[in-house]
Amino acid sequence: MIMMLPFLTAVISAWFTWRGHRGTAMVWWGITAAIYVAWCFYHMTSSLNISL
Amino acid sequence: MIHHLFGLRRWTDCLNALALLGISGVLWFAFAWQIVLHELPCPLCLLQRVAFAMAGIGLMLNVCFGSRPAHYGIALLSALAGMVSSARQVLLHIAPGDPGFGSPFLGLHFYTWALIAFFALGLFLGGLLLLDQMKLKEAADVPRAPGWLGKLAVYSFLAILLVTVISTLLECGFGPCPDDPTNYLWLPG
Repeated sequence: MIMMLPFLTAVISAWFTWRGHRGTAMVWWGITAAIYVAWCFYHMTSSLNISL
Repeated sequence: MIHHLFGLRRWTDCLNALALLGISGVLWFAFAWQIVLHELPCPLCLLQRVAFAMAGIGLMLNVCFGSRPAHYGIALLSALAGMVSSARQVLLHIAPGDPGFGSPFLGLHFYTWALIAFFALGLFLGGLLLLDQMKLKEAADVPRAPGWLGKLAVYSFLAILLVTVISTLLECGFGPCPDDPTNYLWLPG
């Protein structure tokens, strides 16, 4: 798991936005979102210390 | 009209640029806190920063190409994603006696502020969606002049994204971050 990866893909997305490539920027945002979800599964699936 | 002072065509463009400036302000503040107090962000804190960056991309698309439903969708989904990770961290530390992670700011920890900020961002975007009179003729993939306020917001956002990439790289290298980081992996001492 590479923690800096979603930041890198977010930078790429922002860069393409600034350079005027809307579609490419949105694809890179989608990649960032997919990595985000994967990292959520990695970090957020242990049990909580509370009763629900 | 006041938005003309900012070099923007519509007042909703002005609000989008201000929101992007606000998001980069949040990221700059978190980074300054990290450096000044030497409090390294945990993995969930970093995920919240990613969500702010993702929401910023949606707003930046609005600033650079004009308001589109897809751009608002990107920002709203990102705000929801951020709410999930910040709510998870609030729940992790909600038990009595738990001191929480990091120093509080104005009585609340950063993840609690993040949850409030993502909720407020969602409300703001929903309201803006109600009011923004988007025209399909403006839907072309043609970039436009963002005005000086838009440029300021975009430069600030791009700069803090680059800074965050570098600081995360120094903190975690090419691997996962520890749950309670105390030192930068790639910096001596």
